[in-house]
Amino acid sequence: MARRQKAAAAGKRGPPAALLSPPSSEDEAPEEVSFGVAKEAAETERKLVGEAARRHRELLKEKRRRRQELFTEQKKRKLLPDAVLKELAAAPPARADGRAAAANRGKHGGDGAAKQRRGQAQRQVKTDKQRKGARSKGNYTAVRLKDQSLTGLHLQLAKDFLNTQLYGPDTNRAQANEFFSLENKKNPVKKAAVQFVDKSWGQEKKQRATRFKKHWLSTQIKNQV
Amino acid sequence: MGEFEVHRVRFFGLVPAGVRCLACEPRGGRLALARTDGAVEVYNFAANYFQERVIPGNEARSVEALCWAAGDRLFGAGLGGDITEYDLARLCAARSVDGCGGPIWSMAANSTGTQLAIGCEDGSVKLFQVVPGGIQFERNLDRRKGRILCLSWHPSDTHIVAGSIDILRVFDVCSGQTVQRIMVNYHVQKVKRECIVWSIAFLSSGTVVTSDSFGRVQFWDWERGTLLESHTVSTSAVLSLAVSEKEDSIIVGTSTGATYQFQLLPVKMGSLEKRWVRTKPFQHHTHDVRAVAHSSTALISGGLDAQLVIRPLMEKMQKKGYDAALRKFTFPHRRLVSCARKARLLLFQFSQHLELWRLGSTNKTGKDGEVLPLCRMPEHLVQLKSKGPEHIYCSCVSPCGSWVAYSTASRFHLYRVQYEGDSISVKKVPKVPKLLPPAYQLQFSADSGSLFVASARGSVHVLQLLELGGCKLLHTFRPPSGSPEAVYLLAASADGHWVAAVSGDWAIHIYNLKCFKHHCAVPAYSCAVTALAIHPVTNNLVIAYSDQQLFEFSIPEKQYTAWSRMVQNCGLHRVWLERDSPITHITFNPKNPSHILLHDIYMFCVLDKSLPLPDNSALLMNQSTLKQLPENARQRQLHAFKICKKFQPLLFADLLDENCLVMVERPIMDIKTQLPLPIQQKKFGT
Repeated sequence: MARRQKAAAAGKRGPPAALLSPPSSEDEAPEEVSFGVAKEAAETERKLVGEAARRHRELLKEKRRRRQELFTEQKKRKLLPDAVLKELAAAPPARADGRAAAANRGKHGGDGAAKQRRGQAQRQVKTDKQRKGARSKGNYTAVRLKDQSLTGLHLQLAKDFLNTQLYGPDTNRAQANEFFSLENKKNPVKKAAVQFVDKSWGQEKKQRATRFKKHWLSTQIKNQV
Repeated sequence: MGEFEVHRVRFFGLVPAGVRCLACEPRGGRLALARTDGAVEVYNFAANYFQERVIPGNEARSVEALCWAAGDRLFGAGLGGDITEYDLARLCAARSVDGCGGPIWSMAANSTGTQLAIGCEDGSVKLFQVVPGGIQFERNLDRRKGRILCLSWHPSDTHIVAGSIDILRVFDVCSGQTVQRIMVNYHVQKVKRECIVWSIAFLSSGTVVTSDSFGRVQFWDWERGTLLESHTVSTSAVLSLAVSEKEDSIIVGTSTGATYQFQLLPVKMGSLEKRWVRTKPFQHHTHDVRAVAHSSTALISGGLDAQLVIRPLMEKMQKKGYDAALRKFTFPHRRLVSCARKARLLLFQFSQHLELWRLGSTNKTGKDGEVLPLCRMPEHLVQLKSKGPEHIYCSCVSPCGSWVAYSTASRFHLYRVQYEGDSISVKKVPKVPKLLPPAYQLQFSADSGSLFVASARGSVHVLQLLELGGCKLLHTFRPPSGSPEAVYLLAASADGHWVAAVSGDWAIHIYNLKCFKHHCAVPAYSCAVTALAIHPVTNNLVIAYSDQQLFEFSIPEKQYTAWSRMVQNCGLHRVWLERDSPITHITFNPKNPSHILLHDIYMFCVLDKSLPLPDNSALLMNQSTLKQLPENARQRQLHAFKICKKFQPLLFADLLDENCLVMVERPIMDIKTQLPLPIQQKKFGT
């Protein structure tokens, strides 16, 4: 590897080395190099470097493309064959429902080959749902009257009005952190910024951390036993 | 003072709701306040602004306007579209009538208190007549488009002025017609935004005062429809306005949290011509001030930062005293925390749920002031959510920690909590006896064998708790002379002999639990009781009143104790009497019978009855000076009140065992970060 590199370096240095004096005639004065020749040498070198970079880029592109292809192929491999998919889409909804239910029952059974079937069933349900949505256009939808009453609507309007008037875009509201930062800064006792004082901040992460810690501890104890 | 190991609890995440509206009782000493969560509170001026009544809110019942009518009847109206009358004796909504005009934005009573006018979302102004036992629809006034956001009656009851968006209108009450219509923005060139008249007042001279979203306070002549004066108070909206009864002073509240006073002053000394002048600015709030009121001696403002500020007017004060000091209330004057001493649990009461926490523990010891590392963190055990829109009235956990009870307006719930190692099971106790809800206060006996339920009409129910997880009603105590008011405080003795109950008329009754009889009543005192407790050793009842007086009443002897008489003879220290927040909890140290532990929001005090009382020349809060003195000098300086102000604001303090205390704090900054957003303010140099 190292040798190859060295060779490459020699190759690169090739043309200017040929122009320079050979190493044997050390005591001679350096040969005069005309301006044009030197310029040409520099240009060839730049071209070489540029080409190398371009090749490298192309190589990368090729690599990426191949990987992309691999991915798509993998995805396809996961999917069912086209014919089966088409057949599923064409099947009447009632039968699909029945089949989904059957699949669900199979899920509860939980036998060995259930996994493959389960995946199928889920996909099936998904396509089924989409079709149902399209079909029910223009049909009736069920709503609770309690949510839709006129007073509810009025109440919502009134609340929206209040909210836009007090907290709308023109009202120039500040975040609590900005608002209290000066107070915090001037305080003789310096504290963390308000956003860190807020206990609700990052609560989920903290909870997850404590849960993980518990779990980890319990596993440690089990291992010791 | 004694050394204690202190659990400094800061995980009570209480965020009090903002103040939405205020109403002073005309010619009376009470102030009604409504919060954004629909809770209604009544403060009594005579009892040192004690929050004497609390009606918890309801999700379905917001309150936008409150007013007193027909003497001392309190009405509220809100965006739900109903007008509700509150029963102040039973602390609940008595009856409500549909306004039939959509959400109600404003309500005002006329000067005699016989009629109510409401302003609705659909632009109508409706008149209701206040009749005994309810209100009755009278008629509609001329209806136009645009919601009516504020209303005011002329003091002579002949006209009503209503503020809407960009416009204000004057109605003739007799004919119901619009007699004047004023465009608020008519004289302003090129306004893009609409101008909202947030608040309005009709003076007897015929001047209409408005405050609007452009930050102006304007004075109009209603007959000519002309602008008399305009004061730009703020760059943001002026949300509220109130006029004094004499009509010589106005207070306005802005959304930046500042309040301003306007006064009607002569232009020159001795001149007859008077003008409105903006005199005093106050910045007590950080958030919007949506409610102001003007009592005869003070400016009162309530903000969305949940603060109620009472700022006395010094020119109206004759002498320095309790009434002449600035008062700020953020926290309720009652207990929201209860503690299971034996199980080391804390129960926190929120508006719609309860939280049960186990205290942390440490195995280290340290010197005074040291912070000890925890070997077990405090643990959130259970969250109990109450179903439905009603808010919780009261809650309690038993000393052994295995019972939790709470009550809403219509239901009483009792749960049995069982601990098996690390797992907890909560079981609802079925077939709770049918009591007349709501319960206003709950208290378990010291052995966790019975539960005392404070109820309406001065009655106290005693429930027996069974080991297997059931309960039955043992007895109901009623005061011998009867009382219309609800019981709001309870105290049970440690030996299970006595229970003391305080009802809304401030009468204290003591009942005997062994023979289920009324034992005696404590002599009447002219102030509200804020806390009481029975001493576990001597069975003396210690009572704290809202004027900061302390009494000790011996239950077996049915009379005040010698110490209590001595305190009354000598008088308490001046600084003690000038404190502004009521004592909310009293407890005792069983190992040290002469100690009484009490606290309010700002201090924790160990009252040592064996030491002499301080006189007015002595320093009341002398703990820090005592520490620096040599031992023999210290003995001479000691007095009965040992006060600690380290924990603020203190919501609850209790003694777990001999030398272990729990202190529940709620830092103000933690609350402020969770409030709705404040208005941006430019600070110099930032």
